[in-house]
Amino acid sequence: MDGLYIAQQLINALSYGSILALLAIGYTMIYGILGLINFAHGEIFMIGAFCAYLLLAFGGSPFLIGLLAALGGAVIVGMLIQRTVYAPCLKRNPEVLTVFIASFGASMGLRSLFTMIFGDSRRAFPTPDSLEGILITDSGLFLNVKDIWIFGIVLVLVLGIALFVRFSRTGMAMRAVAYDANAAELAGINSQRIVLYAFVLGSVLAGVAAVAYGMSFGVVTPSMGYLIGLNAFIAAVLGGIGNVPGAAVGGYIIGLGEIMFVALLPPQFSAVRPIFVWMLLFLILFVKPTGLFRPNIKIE
Amino acid sequence: MKNFGKILVGLLLLGGLLWLADTSLRGYYLRLVVLVGVTSIIALGVNVINGYTNIFSLGFGGTMMVAAYTTALLTLPVSYKKAVLHLPSWLEGLQLAFPVAIIIAGLLAVVASVILLLPAFRLEGQYFILASMGVNIVMGNLAENLRGLTHGDMGLRNIPAYTNIWWAYGILVLVIFFIYRLMQSRYGRALRTIGKDQTLAAVMGINVVRYKILSFAVGSFITGIGAALWVHLVLTMNPKAFGLVYVFNVVAMLAIGGIGTISGTLLGVTILTVGAELFAPLQEGIILLGVRIPPVFGLVNVLTALLLIVIMIYRPRGLMGGREIWDVSGIRKK
Repeated sequence: MDGLYIAQQLINALSYGSILALLAIGYTMIYGILGLINFAHGEIFMIGAFCAYLLLAFGGSPFLIGLLAALGGAVIVGMLIQRTVYAPCLKRNPEVLTVFIASFGASMGLRSLFTMIFGDSRRAFPTPDSLEGILITDSGLFLNVKDIWIFGIVLVLVLGIALFVRFSRTGMAMRAVAYDANAAELAGINSQRIVLYAFVLGSVLAGVAAVAYGMSFGVVTPSMGYLIGLNAFIAAVLGGIGNVPGAAVGGYIIGLGEIMFVALLPPQFSAVRPIFVWMLLFLILFVKPTGLFRPNIKIE
Repeated sequence: MKNFGKILVGLLLLGGLLWLADTSLRGYYLRLVVLVGVTSIIALGVNVINGYTNIFSLGFGGTMMVAAYTTALLTLPVSYKKAVLHLPSWLEGLQLAFPVAIIIAGLLAVVASVILLLPAFRLEGQYFILASMGVNIVMGNLAENLRGLTHGDMGLRNIPAYTNIWWAYGILVLVIFFIYRLMQSRYGRALRTIGKDQTLAAVMGINVVRYKILSFAVGSFITGIGAALWVHLVLTMNPKAFGLVYVFNVVAMLAIGGIGTISGTLLGVTILTVGAELFAPLQEGIILLGVRIPPVFGLVNVLTALLLIVIMIYRPRGLMGGREIWDVSGIRKK
């Protein structure tokens, strides 16, 4: 168990961490703005992956078109959920629990719908040959070309979103609504539109994460969004709810932590990997419930 | 007990109906009736925690797993245990009577739920929901990996068929009566107050943590007994039996019927259990008017989810709207 082994594991965790980071940003934005765990976010991610999969595997379309289909599919589903489930629920009954149960329903409904159509088996996700390949460094580290692509693109995206939320007018409005929706309304911000923006942005990131998942794990299934979605939410909590760069950092920490848990402990522990993430959640919520970075919600 | 006469008449009526069902219904329908009773017990237990005390916990799946495996291990034939499991010798040779086994199962469910959820009591709202969900994931994961105890994904078979209509409905009547009395007592009022407003409850001098634990103990015991009855009805157990889909179904039953009421819970359980059985043939593929309809797995879940979302939008407090049938119909004198 030398430095090289650990470095290799860190590299292996990069794409997984990137996927968690993208999903965590989606959770953190929607939780920040609506005060609601978007339970169906994992399903938005799954549907994005299926859109790309269908075009690439059956349509034989170029990879970029597949990526765009994932983004489009995720955004359409995200907006649909917001329009048909969350908005009417919140309008008629602003109690959080009701909306949460509805979001639980949306999540299970979508997943079952896809199980109904596609079956529960794993389907191979085609990654173009141009993205395959392995680089070997002088010190003997193996680098997947696709992992480098994923990490690079995600890094640019995360930076872009962080800057957008920090400096653009829309981004400032988002932070304002997240901090105090009533005050933001008084200042002339259309909070309904901001909620929609947050869903669109979160879904775009989920779409990218979906393609990254397909590339790096090579499979898609209707239930792929469940555990990874929960882990991503934990990452969002770790980063401080409402804090976009925090969520990204949280995603990488959880991703690296999970891979290290498997890599450093004896192999019989690798099956209990989900338990590790939940222990981590309890630890965070006890030691520092507000997360590592400053959350952007009003703490009462 | 001024309503004693009415209760007696009601019980006799129910007994007659059950006897009629027991003698006239054939296997499948009788099993459905029993399943409604068993599921009602499970849901009523969950309702004590999630409804009255308003601590929305999704951890009951894990609690139910503990109870179900306990009763299975305590009643399985010794030869079967020797063949597929690796148990300590005292447990391997143990075979208890059904009532003893389900009571131990219920008690272990209480222990498990209190130990697992005690650390989560500091959390509130959706953080608590999330943390409680971890209990299911952790228990499911353990059940998959502790193969000597649970036979892993392969699951347990040959569980003795003890649950019949009398056990199911006898215990259900006891549970309804107990919950009804509990909710009128000082304890029940304290739980309801906590459910309405925790701060208010604390200010009024209610020891919130103590009552929350009480609520978990009572609710988990009832749910655990229900889960044990379920195992002795379904006769197999595997780590996915009380997984997310089951948890979702119970949440949907409570939410559709009306969370926080006995009648709402019974209504939701009946609608979803009978509905699931009605659509089950479609899900497995049937021949309708000579046309072969291919199986559509997951159809029942999709329909449940749709119904749940519609109800949450248009009747957020469920079909019963947060009231009991006896309050609405005026059966009980004020």
